Amino acid sequence: MDSSEVEFLAEKEMVKIIPNFSLDRIYLIGGDLGPFNPGLPVDVPVWLALNLKQRQKCRIVPPAWMDVEKLEEMRELERKEDTFTPVPSPYYMELTKLLLNYASDNIPKADEIRTLVKDIWDTRIAKLRLSADSFISQLEAHAKLDNLTLMEINTIRAFLLDSLNCMYKLRSNLQPGSSKGQFTDY
Amino acid sequence: MDTQSYLPVQPGVGMGENFLSLDDIVLSHERLPIRTECSFPRLGFLEKSSDSQDIPEGTKMELPLWLSKGLYEKKRRVLSVELPKVYREGWRTVFNADPNVVDLHKMGPYYYGLGSQMLHFDSPENPEIAQTLLQTFIGRFRRNMDSSQNAYNEDTSALVERLDCLEKALFTSGQSGLNNFQSWEKGQASQLTASSLVLNYRKRKITDIQP
Repeated sequence: MDSSEVEFLAEKEMVKIIPNFSLDRIYLIGGDLGPFNPGLPVDVPVWLALNLKQRQKCRIVPPAWMDVEKLEEMRELERKEDTFTPVPSPYYMELTKLLLNYASDNIPKADEIRTLVKDIWDTRIAKLRLSADSFISQLEAHAKLDNLTLMEINTIRAFLLDSLNCMYKLRSNLQPGSSKGQFTDY
Repeated sequence: MDTQSYLPVQPGVGMGENFLSLDDIVLSHERLPIRTECSFPRLGFLEKSSDSQDIPEGTKMELPLWLSKGLYEKKRRVLSVELPKVYREGWRTVFNADPNVVDLHKMGPYYYGLGSQMLHFDSPENPEIAQTLLQTFIGRFRRNMDSSQNAYNEDTSALVERLDCLEKALFTSGQSGLNNFQSWEKGQASQLTASSLVLNYRKRKITDIQP
């Protein structure tokens, strides 16, 4: 899976906007989007919010978790715990990037938020690598990882799966009886 | 998105080999020290050191893996294969002590592949060899993962030169995951770039034709 595909999936998340135009309910295949009245907040998917913002037809309200104090608390919690803490949103990385790129004027302290989210990301990736390493060194068959987001899984997926394939090959050497039959004749 | 028009065939699983895999074909060219158990008449030209017309019994020579595998048979003793020194007791203790310091590229670029193929030859040390291969891989895994996932936009030749071919393939897949994420984060993922096929054809652009 590509990072752009994960971003595409993230754009389905809902975010609150304040439009400056008025429009009746629109009926889309994915669902209805409520009537738009200037000055009244309404929930829309991120892809629509970004499009309206670029056409200067709305103002984006940052989600509740995108706040300096809350992110600082989350970062401290992440650093203390050994396992993964619940994330503010299953697509926190993508939403941060998208909202801060297109709507940074609507979000207070955008740079600090960017730094904090990056810190949280780095801590989680470090924990992911640690658990991957202990998974492989102890030759486990199953691992359970809660609270992982798709983007984090995506960065490590190719490497981890290839390594596990190699390990399987080397482990099949330990049982010579089962694999001896694979001797191909030329 | 990265689409390939050609997907290379992967090397085979464990003790088997994939006939069409280029890695396996190059692997089977590795030479093994063997000792002949019966004489090979009129094949003296294969061994440069002796001048006789046929190869007598008990000669020590080196044959490539594909030939040794084909000639080896447990019942009719044609030849017996000795383990190359990397898989013997001495080196095995080195690998068990600390797998990270070893230069696996120097030990034969196909350490894991050749080791798996050696298990065909029914040496009494087979279980230990298989165990050492697995433990070496596990021991080096952490360092390979860290180096492949953290080296962005750097010259990685110093990191890669001590890796075996299997580990090099893992390194490239780790790097591709990292590059993909970093290019997305920088915003390059949504930029349109000319396809490499178009650039290679060097099609004349319309600005060149119009005066």
